[in-house]
Amino acid sequence: MLPVPLPHTLALAAVLFCLGMVGVMVRRNALVVFMCVELMLNAANLTFLAFAQAHGDTTGHVSAFFVIAVAAAEASVGLAIVIAVFRSRGTVNLEELKTMKH
Amino acid sequence: MLPVLNNADSLAYFWPEMILTAGAMGVFLFDLAVAKSPRRILWLTVASLGVLAAAALATSHVAGLSPTPIGLFNGLLVLDPWAVFFKYLSWAVTALAILIAGPSLEVASERMGEYCALLLAVAVGMSLMASSTDMLMMVIGVELVSMVSYALAGFKKHDRKSSEAALKYVVYGGVASGMMLFGMSYLYGLLGTTNLVGTAARMNAQAAMLAQAGVAASVAGAGRVAMVVAVVLVLSGVGYKIASVPWHMWCPDVYEGAPTPFTAFLSVGPKAAGFALAVRILYGAMSVSGGADLATAVADVPWPQVVGVIAGLTMTVGNFAALNQTNLKRMLAYSSIAHAGYILMGVAAASETGSQSVALYLVVYLFMNLGAFLVVGIVGRLSGSESIFEYRGLSARAPFAAVAFAVFLFSLTGLPPLAGFVGKFHLFKALVDRGGSWQITLAIVGLLNSAVSLYYYARIVKAMFLDKPHTEERIAVPASYNLLLGALVGLVLVFGVYFDGLRQLAGSSVVLFGHS
Amino acid sequence: MSPSPVGPYLPLAVTLLVSGLMAAALPVLAHFLGPRRASKVKSESFECGSVSEGSARQRFAVKFYVVALLFIVFDIETVFLYPWAVNFKALGWFGYAEVAAFAATLLVGLAYVWKKGALEWET
Repeated sequence: MLPVPLPHTLALAAVLFCLGMVGVMVRRNALVVFMCVELMLNAANLTFLAFAQAHGDTTGHVSAFFVIAVAAAEASVGLAIVIAVFRSRGTVNLEELKTMKH
Repeated sequence: MLPVLNNADSLAYFWPEMILTAGAMGVFLFDLAVAKSPRRILWLTVASLGVLAAAALATSHVAGLSPTPIGLFNGLLVLDPWAVFFKYLSWAVTALAILIAGPSLEVASERMGEYCALLLAVAVGMSLMASSTDMLMMVIGVELVSMVSYALAGFKKHDRKSSEAALKYVVYGGVASGMMLFGMSYLYGLLGTTNLVGTAARMNAQAAMLAQAGVAASVAGAGRVAMVVAVVLVLSGVGYKIASVPWHMWCPDVYEGAPTPFTAFLSVGPKAAGFALAVRILYGAMSVSGGADLATAVADVPWPQVVGVIAGLTMTVGNFAALNQTNLKRMLAYSSIAHAGYILMGVAAASETGSQSVALYLVVYLFMNLGAFLVVGIVGRLSGSESIFEYRGLSARAPFAAVAFAVFLFSLTGLPPLAGFVGKFHLFKALVDRGGSWQITLAIVGLLNSAVSLYYYARIVKAMFLDKPHTEERIAVPASYNLLLGALVGLVLVFGVYFDGLRQLAGSSVVLFGHS
Repeated sequence: MSPSPVGPYLPLAVTLLVSGLMAAALPVLAHFLGPRRASKVKSESFECGSVSEGSARQRFAVKFYVVALLFIVFDIETVFLYPWAVNFKALGWFGYAEVAAFAATLLVGLAYVWKKGALEWET
């Protein structure tokens, strides 16, 4: 099997990262925003792995493992907070969270 | 060749973090054991402080083991005076945050165990941030601090503001860590390693090699652009931790919504660790060894000027936004953004004295900012409000707290003979010593900003001492709080006059692994 | 040396363009070309052939979320066991001790969660 060339993987990762970035800025539902953040983290993961393959070096693989763990922790803390917000506010729309704007 | 130990040998130098990790787990289990005790908060406070004291002893032990900087865990972490300095600072902030949580009543008794254990975990994270030279370890440190902070910001159950603060924090934090990781993945690709020691030398060698090989200008240009983007993304993550413009948006809401003892912690602890990391990246890794210049090696971008512009923007935005705040917690949040700007001046100086002034200012800032939040916590607890309205005539209702608050606020402004003046003076001096035109301009911007900040700090002092209180009822400040306030005021006054020891301590800490 | 850095990206750009056009074109074409005869049965949501019941937008009890949260955390931690398992022999007893410490940390977490009652299904 031919390996996927480095620029292709990098381009895919960059597209994923940009999608995540735009999603975070455009979407207002907290859960969707978390999904976009995960997209950004996975873009980083893909880049790590692509470069690890290109360099023939395992550091990138190790980094990917830790990014996976970070993403999981982020997701679970984030979801726990979303539940807490939903319990006290009845909404997870970020636009509606304006108790503290001055 | 720099000395780097393998995993097994490194454990002997890793005692403080191991003690804290085990201690955090121990406190979780201890909390279950004392769940029925009426003195639960006291027991948990004592246990956590005991763990921190053991960690401090272990720190002094491991610091004595090696006279020269040493790499641990195959270069993931380092043990050098810079790391040791910030370890002590982290333990101190954590101890104070635990100490003030009990009497503040903002942390319910059944959640005190979680509060203490989680703070101990943050302490480990801050230590990792201050002592990592590898990007992988930096991420783990930053994330450990951030994740636990999200949970602690939303610690008040069924409190609308608190959970909202936590949600905003986690969203901004997630984006920041995504950007940082993406930047790191590119940096890894371009450097071929995640270790940042000697980055500057490596990049110079690479540039020379590329020039010799006659690589097409367009390819080299693309590489340079990727490099700059990667460094900017990584620094965004750090900028988010220290709440500098334009990554400061989360700060006011989180500070206002979080429980006050944790806000006090957040405004000094993670910020100090963030600065330790910033100096390690910008000064330790990316500046040329032996030279005083910062990171111009990275694609010939004048990084000190970039940091300088960010510093100027940060202090200006922070100070002007603080001007018309009526909620004191929110006002102190903007003031802490402004202070991040002042401290960035020391980073922008990109010199040994600059890094020294950063360390010195962070110690002073710890005392005065924690003290200020302590007063806000007391008044908030006893009157139920953080509005400036409550502070009218505070000198009649709680005289000692009012005097202490005035001392902290004037120290934050940077007026002599208080510790804040000493800190600020060294930041300005480090900048002016470099002598360039933009350095002088930045120093002038800093001075003007201090003048602006005097306005809103003095407004509170005026309200406390000159305005009539809306009620004559006295505020009964608990003795433990008065004791702590007295100690902090004493430190601010003493360091304002006898600062030579502090300066020497900060100076001897500016020894970074891999940067001579 | 490649003559231009754009060269290797050209096929990728073409692929992206084509797939983007396809993605946009197919729904539009289907909208105009497809016959539409809506009936009550057809506009119902499809659930594997069984008769659908209730609204899909009903809320789930919070206990599901708590279990899901715990699952994410404990499940993902296994990624750290795989590298160790692959190098089990090479890492020896030191590796075993490291993984044991890691598992002990998780065990403390599990004990705390259990004791706090987060695993109770009926509350």
